[in-house]
Amino acid sequence: MAGASMEVRESVSTVGQLIAALDRLKPGLARELDDPLYNIAINDEILLHAVDSRSVKDGDVVEVIPTIAGG
Amino acid sequence: MAIRERVSQLLREMPREPQFSSQGATLFVDLERRETASAYTPRAVTRMLLGGRGANMYYLYRLLDESLSPLHPEIPLIFGSGPLTGLVPSAARGNCTSWSPESGVLLDANAGDYFPSFLRMNGLDHLVLYGKAPHWTVLMIRDGVVSFEDGRRYAGLDNIDMRDAVARDTGGMWRRNLAMVNITRAGENGVLTSGIMAGPKAIYARGGPGAKMGALGLKAIVTLAATRELPTAQPYKPYNRVIAQKLLATSVVKNALSVTGTPFLYKPSRLLGAMGTKNNQETTWTEALDANHFDQYRPGMEGCFRCPVNCRPLNDLHNAEPDKYDKGDGPEYVTLGKFGPNLGIDRVESVIRLNNICNDLGLDTASMGSALAWAFELFQRGIIGTAQTGVELAWGDAALIERMLFMTAAREGFGNVLADSTRAVEYGHYPAAALKYRMAVKGLGQSDPHDARILKAFALGLAVATRGMDHLRNRATLEINARINDNPAFKAELYGGPVSAEPTSYVDKERAVRACENIYAVGDSVGMCRFTTKLFNSPSLPGMEEFRDQLANVTGLQFSTSELEQCGLNVMGVERLINHRVGVRRQDDTLPDRWFDEPNPGGPYQGERIDRQEFEAMLSRFYEISRLTSEGVPEEAWRKELAGALGA
Repeated sequence: MAGASMEVRESVSTVGQLIAALDRLKPGLARELDDPLYNIAINDEILLHAVDSRSVKDGDVVEVIPTIAGG
Repeated sequence: MAIRERVSQLLREMPREPQFSSQGATLFVDLERRETASAYTPRAVTRMLLGGRGANMYYLYRLLDESLSPLHPEIPLIFGSGPLTGLVPSAARGNCTSWSPESGVLLDANAGDYFPSFLRMNGLDHLVLYGKAPHWTVLMIRDGVVSFEDGRRYAGLDNIDMRDAVARDTGGMWRRNLAMVNITRAGENGVLTSGIMAGPKAIYARGGPGAKMGALGLKAIVTLAATRELPTAQPYKPYNRVIAQKLLATSVVKNALSVTGTPFLYKPSRLLGAMGTKNNQETTWTEALDANHFDQYRPGMEGCFRCPVNCRPLNDLHNAEPDKYDKGDGPEYVTLGKFGPNLGIDRVESVIRLNNICNDLGLDTASMGSALAWAFELFQRGIIGTAQTGVELAWGDAALIERMLFMTAAREGFGNVLADSTRAVEYGHYPAAALKYRMAVKGLGQSDPHDARILKAFALGLAVATRGMDHLRNRATLEINARINDNPAFKAELYGGPVSAEPTSYVDKERAVRACENIYAVGDSVGMCRFTTKLFNSPSLPGMEEFRDQLANVTGLQFSTSELEQCGLNVMGVERLINHRVGVRRQDDTLPDRWFDEPNPGGPYQGERIDRQEFEAMLSRFYEISRLTSEGVPEEAWRKELAGALGA
C-alpha cells in the first residue's frame, strides 16, 4: 500500500464513508485498514479517536499512517 | 552488614539444586577476592517474581545497603535472564539491575542481542557481581566454567575495537558461540550516561550501568560455549511455532518492525505535535526525518538470538571517504528523536552518524540526548555561558555535538559536566535555576522524545515508572491507535475495564497504565522482548496466555494468567520497596514542571498541558488499583506477603 494513491469520484462527507467508497474500488481495503497499526491523518492532522465520523471535504489530503510504539 | 555477610546469609537460604526444569544457577562473583559461589533462586521467589528482572529484584532487595552510595563496590550489579530467554522466539532478553549512580533510584535496564541467551547456555540465569577488582578484569565464562582474566590490555577500548579484540583473542564467533557485555572508555571514566554494551548496538542503557560496572573494575563478561538444548519439562518447540506464527502474522511486525523498525513513530509524533523538540520547548519538527528518508541508508535488518522479527535497521552512509562511523546498527526511534528534534538536528545523515558514535562510545542515547538538550537550553537562556562550555552551544550543530560526545566519554572540558547528566546541579556544575528546565523524573532523563502533555496515559506512565522517566516500563502505547480507541468494548477487554477513548482525558487512564506495567514486568521477567509483547505495539502479540503455556512447557511450573498478573504487580511492588529505601516518595511520582506550567506550543493539540489537580487525582487512583499506600509503597498486608517470600 506504501506510496499508492486512489481517486474517489463518489460523494463522501466522512472518513467512514470515504473508507467504504475505497473498499468498493478495492474490495478488502476496509478490512485491511481496520488494523490498529494504521491511523488516519487529514491534512497532516493525525486522528486518535472518533475517526469514522470525522468530516472530509474536497481537496483534503487523507493519509494512512503506520503507528508503532518506538524503542 | 557487609556485602559478603549478606551474600553468605542468602546462600544459606538458597537451594543447591535447580527448582524447575531448565533453571540455571545464580553465580555470586566477588571481584575483589576472585571468588565465586552458586546456588539457585528459591521456588517461592520464582512463583512470586518469575526470573529475569523480577528475580533480579529479589537479589537487589536482599543485598542492598542503602547507607552506602550507588558506585560503592559493595552495591551489587546483577544480570538476569528469564526462564524463556534463549528458548522462545523473540525471548532473547535479560535485565541488569543495581542502584543507579545517575538517577539515585532503581537501576534496571534491559537488553537483547545474544548475551542473555548465551548466559543460559552456560548454565547461568543470574550473575551477582560485587567488590572492586584489583585491576581491569574480564570475567570469562567458558562452557560454564568461570575464570578471572586480566583485562588491562582492553582498557581504553571502545565498543568496536573491543569486540574486534575479544573475537580475535578468544577465537570465538559472534552470534555462534561468543557473546559479551562490556564497558567502554565512558564506563571506565564513570560517565553517568554510559551503558553496558551487549552487542554492536544492544545496550543495557538506562541509569548509568556502564559507570557502575566500571566502578567494580570489570571491563567485560565474555561467554564462550556452543549453543545447546536446555532440559525442559516437556516439548516446547511445537508451541514455539505457534508463537512465531503469531509474531509474524501481526501487522505491526509484518508491515513495520521487520521492514523499517521503530523510526516509523517519528511521523505520527510529529503530526500530533508531540515531538519533543529542543528540550521540549517546541513539539513539532521537520518531515525530513520521517522514516522513509532513512530507506536509502538501510542495507538490511538484523535480529537477536532466535528472533524471527529482525527489527534492527542496519545503516550505511555510503560516504566516499568512510571512517568507522560510516556504517552501523540503528538508529531506533529513541535515538532519532533524542539526536534529531531534541537537539535541533534536521539531517538523517547526522542522526545516523551520531547514533553510530554513541554505539561505539557506549553512551545511552536517551540520557546523553537529554543531558545535551538540557545544556543547550541553559545556554540559550544564559544560565550557563561560554566561560563554562568553551564554545557556543548552537541547536543543530551536529559537528559540535559529535565533539561533545567524545569529550563526555573522556570527561574532558565541558564533557565532564555532561558526564554528570541529571546530577549536574547536585554536583555544582549548574545553578539551582537549571532544574526548572531538566526534563527528568526521579533523576532520569526522558527515554524517548514523545512530549506527553497530550496523551495523559503516557504522562502517568512516565511519572510512576520505577526507574524514572522511561516509556518502556508501562507505556499504554495503544492509546495512540484510533481503531482501538473507537472500539470501547475491545479496549475494555484489553485493559480489564473501560478506559476513555479520548487521548487527552484523564478518565480511567490509570487502568491502562496498570495493565501495561503488569504485562511488561512479566515479559521482562520471562525474557520476552517488549516490542513483541502484547499491548506495547499491538493487541495481537503474545501475552499472558502464551507466557503461561510456554512457562509450563519449559519449566513445568503452572501459573494461571491471573497469577502472572500478580507476578507483574509484585515486581513493581518490590521495585517500589527498593525505591522507598533510597528515599523515593509520592512527590517523586511526578513530571517535569514544563508539562504542568507550559501549554503545548503547536500542532492540533496546541494549548494542551498537564493539570496538576487532575494529575494528582489520577495518581491516587493509580495507587489505589495498584494496592499502594498514599506514599506509593505496597499496602501493609501485601508488603508482608512480599517480605515473606523475599525472606526479608
